[in-house]
Amino acid sequence: MASNERTKVKSRNEAFVDKTETRIWYEEPSKDNPYIAENNLCHGYDILELAKKRSFVDTLYLLFRGELPSKEDSIILEHLMIALINPGPRHPATQSAMNAGVGKTDPAHILPIGLTILGGEYSGASEVEPCMRFLRKNRKRPVNEVVDKLLKEKASDDDFLTPGFGSKFGSIEIMTQKFVDQILYLNKDQQTLYWANEFSKKMNAYNVGWLPTGLAAAVFSDLGFQPRTCIGLFQLLSAPGLLAHGMELANKPVTAMPFISDENYVIEK
Amino acid sequence: MSLKNKKLKYEIWDSNRKIIKSRKGGWFPGKGVFNHGYNMMDDFVGKKSYMQIVLLNATGRLPDRKIADWFEAIHICLSWPDPRIWCNQIGALAGTSKTSVVAATVSGVLASDSRAYGAKTIKGGLEFIQNAYLQYTSGKSVEEIVDTECAKHAGKPYIMGFARPIAKGDERVEAMERTAGNLGLEVGEHLLLAYEIEQILINKFDESMNINGYMSAFLSDNGFTPDEAYRICSFVVASGVTACYVDSKDKKADTFLPLHCDDIKYTGKSPRDLPDC
Repeated sequence: MASNERTKVKSRNEAFVDKTETRIWYEEPSKDNPYIAENNLCHGYDILELAKKRSFVDTLYLLFRGELPSKEDSIILEHLMIALINPGPRHPATQSAMNAGVGKTDPAHILPIGLTILGGEYSGASEVEPCMRFLRKNRKRPVNEVVDKLLKEKASDDDFLTPGFGSKFGSIEIMTQKFVDQILYLNKDQQTLYWANEFSKKMNAYNVGWLPTGLAAAVFSDLGFQPRTCIGLFQLLSAPGLLAHGMELANKPVTAMPFISDENYVIEK
Repeated sequence: MSLKNKKLKYEIWDSNRKIIKSRKGGWFPGKGVFNHGYNMMDDFVGKKSYMQIVLLNATGRLPDRKIADWFEAIHICLSWPDPRIWCNQIGALAGTSKTSVVAATVSGVLASDSRAYGAKTIKGGLEFIQNAYLQYTSGKSVEEIVDTECAKHAGKPYIMGFARPIAKGDERVEAMERTAGNLGLEVGEHLLLAYEIEQILINKFDESMNINGYMSAFLSDNGFTPDEAYRICSFVVASGVTACYVDSKDKKADTFLPLHCDDIKYTGKSPRDLPDC
């Protein structure tokens, strides 16, 4: 069969906006040059005032939520930021940044490289959004009911029951649980984190526990962040560690990281 | 836990610790560079096209030269130097910001990992046509397949591989039909089905097949899976991004789409006093 008689290619003449809109940031133009701002507002607050009177954490929260955080929320977010500040030198994202560093990659690329790898669906930022959706859907239901349903749906022992929870290298993560306990202690009114911790405790019997992505998802939920935004927020909060490890290797010779010998490089048939 | 059980627990990780096992190939200084059982210098260089090797690396199969040439042609179709296209504009913005060409190009490629265009939509296109073909061979009519898909989008013809944003029609389909004909590549059953779907859409909505629909059906006829197509096409927008980067990089900084402060419409909160902590 020959191809069909088709309409001639023509523009749809869709109505695109004349200007991009933002509710986040206002740049007041200077009188002398319309390209130069003389004042910046973040959700209505003068950025210079914010710098003088508020913390970076408060301003970060404001940027994404549109309002300043309560003192309690600010402390919780800061704890999460420290919990996530470094995925650690064994994480594939950090290893990628370190490889870039030792390989003398342009320093401007080290962080983007690490962040891209941290975007993965396994132990990475792309796990945060589905975990937040899982928590939103289930946090008002009894934990036992949710666990029973998940166990029934489980296809195999390797089947991760839900994003944000699981095991690493055959065991439950210890450090994440410690951070959860610490953050829970800060404020009783963290309903999602509390529910998720009960869920995790119940799942421990099946060798499933908290993962860093789950911790982030639960805290972000309680702080009111949108799930899709939190993919990038997770990357942002983990960025310092990636950069620090990458740059630590950047000034060292290529021999400063292992290079697998030919004897240990196997081409499988 | 006993020592034996503990050892078993970590076995899969211990057996991969400090060792790399590759199913693809590797470089052994003094012996050669190997790729899927081939010696790259002896078997490939000067003998196979670059696209043949791209396909081999993405699928594990060394394809016929004709298929590789077809892929090369479709890469020309899927990337052109117009900085109004989203990924290309990132290349142009990279140029005006004086990034490196590599940063510019990979940023544009990353941008094309999108639900709206680029390689990921090709995967979606193959998934659709392969699923539609299964339904068709199970007895569903083409009309029913189209109606079911349109019903998912309030009756609108939003079917992966058909219709297109910005413009109606797609000049690239005809170019690729001609190319496939010149290469002696035949029309298969997935493509025949795609043409039938297109005919219904032309009659009902004045919408036709786009390049994604054509290539998805063609690749399905030639045995490619959705994931394989996604992998092969991962850098499909690269050359257009590079072109847009070069154009703005070679001009004065900040001259690509500069914005007045009030070219951004602020719709947020009015100025307000900062409360005390």
